[in-house]
Amino acid sequence: MIQIVNIDNSFDSYQRLISLYEEYKDKAFSDIHIGFYQWFAANMSAALGALLDVFTTNLNDVHFDCFNPQSIEQILLKNDFLTYYGKARAVDVNQTTIRFQKLKPTDGKYFKTYVIEELIGRAELPQMSVALKEKMIEAIYEMFVNAQIHSETEFIYTCGQFFPNKNKIEFTIVDTGIGFRNKINNRFKRSLSATQAIQWAVEDKNTTKETVSGGIGLALLKEFISMNKGRMQIVSDSGFYEFGTEGVSIKPFSGQFPGTIVNLEFCTDDNNSYALKNEININDIF
Amino acid sequence: MIYFENMENIEVKINVTNVIGDVYGVEAEEGQKVYDLIKKAFAENRKVVLSFLNIEILTTAFLNTSIGQLYKDFSEETIKKNLSVENISESGKVILKRVVGTAKLFYKDKDTFLRLQQSIEEILEN
Repeated sequence: MIQIVNIDNSFDSYQRLISLYEEYKDKAFSDIHIGFYQWFAANMSAALGALLDVFTTNLNDVHFDCFNPQSIEQILLKNDFLTYYGKARAVDVNQTTIRFQKLKPTDGKYFKTYVIEELIGRAELPQMSVALKEKMIEAIYEMFVNAQIHSETEFIYTCGQFFPNKNKIEFTIVDTGIGFRNKINNRFKRSLSATQAIQWAVEDKNTTKETVSGGIGLALLKEFISMNKGRMQIVSDSGFYEFGTEGVSIKPFSGQFPGTIVNLEFCTDDNNSYALKNEININDIF
Repeated sequence: MIYFENMENIEVKINVTNVIGDVYGVEAEEGQKVYDLIKKAFAENRKVVLSFLNIEILTTAFLNTSIGQLYKDFSEETIKKNLSVENISESGKVILKRVVGTAKLFYKDKDTFLRLQQSIEEILEN
């Protein structure tokens, strides 16, 4: 049985998921039994869902045999993750989950509904300024659209979680596409490592697009995360990149994630006036 | 590059919400619809007022295709003279300004590919 033990949003947790993938990626027509132990961060359902889809594409049968403690099963029932595996959804009494959702890249309209239902329209969302909420939704959309445009993925997986006591929101977007490294190396015929590829992509104006300008989304996200004192993590192929209050951390994984994970942590008790600080004359844009 | 010698002073208003049928201007493909209309208007020597009334969320991807791309086809001078925006949010203005600055560089510089390749070399050397 696969033991998924103590998964949060640390480098080591991503490494454990990657190791799991590496061990089972070539299996086919097998029964894969999974047990959850100690802790499983709800937003990581997006990463796990993507991995398990790779396994089910190989016609493996996934079984969830053990949840210890039982609260892990409860949270995965509340956030809809387990409903994708034939279980009935549980009511989220505390209303702190942001649903797990699997969408095709062309399902932009469904993603809008999801964002409205899970983020914008939620009265129980931690108190936030209007400007902050707008920047957060913008950031989430930038990442979704990035996955649509660049990843060449079949599905995009999203999930999140509120932490009202810590004034935090975690939101994760995952694809099982080409990854930063291959995308950039294919375009420029170079051989960047996975970490180098992510470093390059987060720099302002760096883009793989050929006919339309770009390369702003990740740079803008980084600037927002810096002001918000939040955190962004990118896991792509064998690369890990984290930017937060303690600066940048870049490390290689042993093994590869079959796509890209973008995990965003927003601080909700942030009263920066994002718009006012950047006021721009409407007649001086072009 | 197309330069207008005798641009007639007739304005046409393009309502983004109506063109994309949405108050979220987020997807690159939707931006393409706006770009096509602006291009069509410019081809007919019309000035364009692009209204973002009721638009709630904008992404760089949407603005890259709807507006950034114009710098591929028209000079900076032509765009500055013939395109204006209204009812855009403060946050939208910030993003649009960045998109425009990046597009000017991307399309003006014939060596964009080389510049990007050079930035890759720098990362490989470090």
